[in-house]
Amino acid sequence: MILEYHRPDTLEQALALLARSNPTTLPMGGGSVLNAPSDEEVAVVDLQNLGLNVLKLKGNKLNLGAALTLQGLLDNPDIPDALSKAIRHEATHNLRQVATIAGTLVVSDGRSAFTSCMLALDAQLILEPGAEELGLGDLLHMRTEKLPGRLLTQIVIPMNVKLSYDYVARSSADLPIVCAAVTQWPSGRTRVVLGGYGSAPTLALDGPQADGWQEAVQNAYGQAGDDWASAEYRSEISAVLSARCLENIAIIK
Amino acid sequence: MSINLNVNSKSHEIDVAPGESLLKALRAEGYYGVKQGCDTGECGACTVLVDNRPVNACVYLTRQAEGKEIETIEASGEHPEQGWKLTEGLHPLQQAFVAGGAIQCGFCTPGMILAAKDLLTRNPNPSEAEVREGISGVLCRCTGYVKPVQAILHAAAVLRGEAEPGEMITPDDIDALFISLPESPAQETSEETQTSVQVLPKVLIAPQTKNWKHVGQPEQKVDAVKLVQGKPAFAADFEIRGMLIAKVLKSPLAHARIKHIDVSEARELPGVAAVLTHKDIPRVVYSTAGQSHPIPGPLDSFSLDNKVRFVGDRVALVAAENSEIADQALKLIKVEYEELPSLVDSRLALDNEALLHDQPEYVDFAESDASRNLAARLHIDIGDVDQGFEAADHIFEHEYSVPKVQQAAIEPHVVITYWDEDDRLVIRTSTQVPFHVRRILAPVLQLPLKRIRVVKPRIGGGFGGKQEVLIEDVAAHLTIAAGRPVIFEFTRQEEFVAARPRHPMHIKMKTGVKEDGTITANEMYCLADTGAYGSHALTVTGNTGAKAMAIYVGDGEYRQNPNIRFVADIVYTNTTPSGAFRGYGVPQGFWAVERHMERIARELELDPIEFRMKNALREGELQPFSTAWSEGREPVPETIETNGLEECVRQGRAAIGWDQKFGIEGWHQVSGKPTLRKGIGISLAMHGTAIPYLDMGAASIKMNDDGSFNLMVGATDLGTGSDTVLAQMAAEVLGVPLEDLIVYSSDTDFTPFDKGAYASSTTYISGAAVVGAAQKVADRLTYRAALILNERGDGPEVNPSEIRLADRRATTQDGRFVTLEEIGQHALHQGEQEQIMAVDSYVSPVAPPPFAAQFAEVTVDIETGQVVVDKLVMAVDAGIIINPVTAGGQIEGGMTQALGYAVCEEMIYDDKGVLREQNLRDYHIFQANEMPQMETIFVETFEPSHPFGVKAVAEIPTDAVAPAVANAIMDACGADLNVIPATPERIWKSLKESAELK
Repeated sequence: MILEYHRPDTLEQALALLARSNPTTLPMGGGSVLNAPSDEEVAVVDLQNLGLNVLKLKGNKLNLGAALTLQGLLDNPDIPDALSKAIRHEATHNLRQVATIAGTLVVSDGRSAFTSCMLALDAQLILEPGAEELGLGDLLHMRTEKLPGRLLTQIVIPMNVKLSYDYVARSSADLPIVCAAVTQWPSGRTRVVLGGYGSAPTLALDGPQADGWQEAVQNAYGQAGDDWASAEYRSEISAVLSARCLENIAIIK
Repeated sequence: MSINLNVNSKSHEIDVAPGESLLKALRAEGYYGVKQGCDTGECGACTVLVDNRPVNACVYLTRQAEGKEIETIEASGEHPEQGWKLTEGLHPLQQAFVAGGAIQCGFCTPGMILAAKDLLTRNPNPSEAEVREGISGVLCRCTGYVKPVQAILHAAAVLRGEAEPGEMITPDDIDALFISLPESPAQETSEETQTSVQVLPKVLIAPQTKNWKHVGQPEQKVDAVKLVQGKPAFAADFEIRGMLIAKVLKSPLAHARIKHIDVSEARELPGVAAVLTHKDIPRVVYSTAGQSHPIPGPLDSFSLDNKVRFVGDRVALVAAENSEIADQALKLIKVEYEELPSLVDSRLALDNEALLHDQPEYVDFAESDASRNLAARLHIDIGDVDQGFEAADHIFEHEYSVPKVQQAAIEPHVVITYWDEDDRLVIRTSTQVPFHVRRILAPVLQLPLKRIRVVKPRIGGGFGGKQEVLIEDVAAHLTIAAGRPVIFEFTRQEEFVAARPRHPMHIKMKTGVKEDGTITANEMYCLADTGAYGSHALTVTGNTGAKAMAIYVGDGEYRQNPNIRFVADIVYTNTTPSGAFRGYGVPQGFWAVERHMERIARELELDPIEFRMKNALREGELQPFSTAWSEGREPVPETIETNGLEECVRQGRAAIGWDQKFGIEGWHQVSGKPTLRKGIGISLAMHGTAIPYLDMGAASIKMNDDGSFNLMVGATDLGTGSDTVLAQMAAEVLGVPLEDLIVYSSDTDFTPFDKGAYASSTTYISGAAVVGAAQKVADRLTYRAALILNERGDGPEVNPSEIRLADRRATTQDGRFVTLEEIGQHALHQGEQEQIMAVDSYVSPVAPPPFAAQFAEVTVDIETGQVVVDKLVMAVDAGIIINPVTAGGQIEGGMTQALGYAVCEEMIYDDKGVLREQNLRDYHIFQANEMPQMETIFVETFEPSHPFGVKAVAEIPTDAVAPAVANAIMDACGADLNVIPATPERIWKSLKESAELK
């Protein structure tokens, strides 16, 4: 239940509000998750006046304001095709209009196509106050520790990489049962991320090359069984999807 | 806090709570075009444009919207003629939705139009794929998205100046409707095109229809114009002073006795008007099944009980000034439970220590036995089954399973109750069965039936889920307790945990077959799970056998003497009670029968179509089950008078290109995709049309001064278009255009009785009543026309029998005529004055079955098990098609629901009885941007038992998609499924098992 609504005009005002612990005060991007009915009593800080819905290309990096909507990112013609595919898979057209990239990352679970891709891209985040820089992978499993009182303001992703995304689901617009996102840098650095299970996507591999990805995938999803799929299935299919992503990366220009 | 909200260019100063959704605020301001289908942003029924972008208002705060431009459907357009004021009329999108038959229940229509408006603003010339993506955020459970997509593409053309508004169906299209069907396969479409852009289905027309002017025509729906404007037509779109909000405290346990319940703190909470427990209301046992009297099932339910039988069962009821107070009150209720052993697996139900119904008030029906957890039992033997097995060369035995699935109508169950000025209780409810609601609730509320009035407004989809007296008693008890109006609306989560989904079943098949493919005996054992209560237990499961096991009688001597056995146990478990869902047990049966037939054909190396047709029921033969069972009533043998199955197979086979694909070397491979395999499958289906000697519908028709008519029916249009097709039949008899029929349905005070919308009966049963009433009115019209003409004396004396009604005139054979307006005025004001009005009712002695051939084409990834359904073709004999657009919409929507049943929808419970899927995100129904191509073909036959030759069309499209898809999967890759949905892992496992066997 939302007890208070605030729409600050400056980052400082927002941070001051978020610093409160009573009531629990949370940043609100589009609110598509936060505004759903809940028993938790919270205050929300609407970020729409903070100018965080920006997108800037700086060299090989794309700087994304935290309040940029998924649609805003999708509308950028320079983002990798695989990221476009993942955004479309993440949310319907309506939800993409309000769901922000930071909000999506913060509330996502293992079934998030977008977060899987952003993790594969090794998205770098900036948390205020303090302008703390950290990787998305460092945040995902530390959200309850890292986020209270803080505001994710910026996300940076590399643009000089090749990204591939593939998934299996009950139907093409359904949440993934298993998905794989693979990014390869010009240096050969390769990150393989698996999704579809658990509280967050899993980084299976981050190596100078793709060597050993099979073992890495096996290790990552060898025990990934739940009500939606067996570990045996996820383990085998994550290898299939990862292989396909790697094959696809080889032909991306 | 007071804020300023800019809606449709008007400023609203409103007070809102910090967390109040834009949906709630807009509806409070009277923008009822914004609908509530969920409160989690999943369905899109609440779509509005915020700064020209589509937004789900249920998860958008009102405060977020401050300073922005909000547009609702109310700004899009309006009726062009409003008395002396002419308006610009409807927006081209609205016109296209009306003209193209894109509206069924209409609950999602405003959201879809606004999403489309946003799309066309940004992209005036979208591809079909872009349209589908643009409306992907708005779920529709009725249409299968075919006609909405077509409407949007047409509107785009209109807005570009390339087409005329509203002309989606041209005279050429109507001519084309009736041409011969294709003999060659349909053209393959590009990847971007998922439907063929064609409003009308193909109809192989029966000769009897050629002179009809309204029946058989693609008339626009009579309710389309109001729905496309988002008018306040639905149950919740109703304002009354002092309305309370009802909430239900639900059980967290699957099985428990309530040892103690303390509601004192809840009652003392300011703003709480009433709190009720089982101690506060009369203990009346009843059945919630919306069926005719006497209920063909056990009486096992109470409004509130001292025991809970599933997670989500009722514990207490609260009515408060607003939903926040009601929620708070629920938290203040203290309950002490004695947890009892629970039972989740139906295979363990019989004689289990967990006994669900130990209450002394339990009333058995037929072979129900609460002491064994048995809600119903069936044992039907036709012929000599054991001898049939002895005569067989091969015996095939397999077991199949189907899951529990949810109707997922986009409008949740909702009811408003209040005392009127005469101290009569008014129940305004989203029901399929208003008359059953009144009859069943009277004793529960301890009110005489005559003091209850049930009003059925517009329904936002039901699909059987609203054939249940599910929530009306909650609001009614609270109105009685508080003396105030009460609204009770299910949340989407409550729809999943506490409504009445489809019965899950485990089905064993045993079939004897001769070497030449003749079926000698066919046996089905069905274990059906009715969940915690037994409403519809007997009748749903009875239909599993009575329809699915009736289609294959065998060949030769077996045609006259088929050997069929159907045995079923319907058991209680501590899970969500099962109920009626479109198809009513028959999809479960056809899953087993048609998978079984496919296996037999393949194992005997017989052509799957030839094998089926060799054994299938034919015209002139007895419906075998008609000799043995009739939904718990006395059976009467019934001969099949019409059966277009053979032609359905021929047409469907041509449309999907069966002969170019099935068994053709190389067709299964996909170029450049070594892990993909294509497959094609068939399934046959038959259904029923109403329940003979039981289902009764009635209609009344009243003439007005201007020659128009009020058509009043108790039948309930859920979005199917039944109001329209009933009016078309009346228009045909009365010789007037459809616009001269004002249809009203339904209200127990004002409309004649109708048993309601179920059993695929409305067009047939209620339609026959309408025709009967129209004929009586027509007789008065011709009598009065003769009277007027003879008074005029300007020609030879006229006999009424020589007068024909057409084009709003009563015309003699020599060309003299009287307009119906003249007749109306004469009757009411001038001579031999009378109110021309008639009522008629109809009960059928037969239940003529529709037949269908369902084809599916799929692509399977043999590494992952992922299946994509590429195309569905259904060729249907539903008798005469009254309206090809609405009937086509029924097939498209039904196939889409059945597609979900085939590949993704299921409800899974853990061992504590907790449901996994409690929202649309986890459950997943198909979106517009993931649909296969769909094609509908109608093969008309003229059913002689109906004045216009109709049979049913509503339910048969749900019967055969799942087995056709599974048979196609088998054809693609050999995966042999016993269970649906065909999830990737199930296919993958089957492929692994078959690989290991090799």
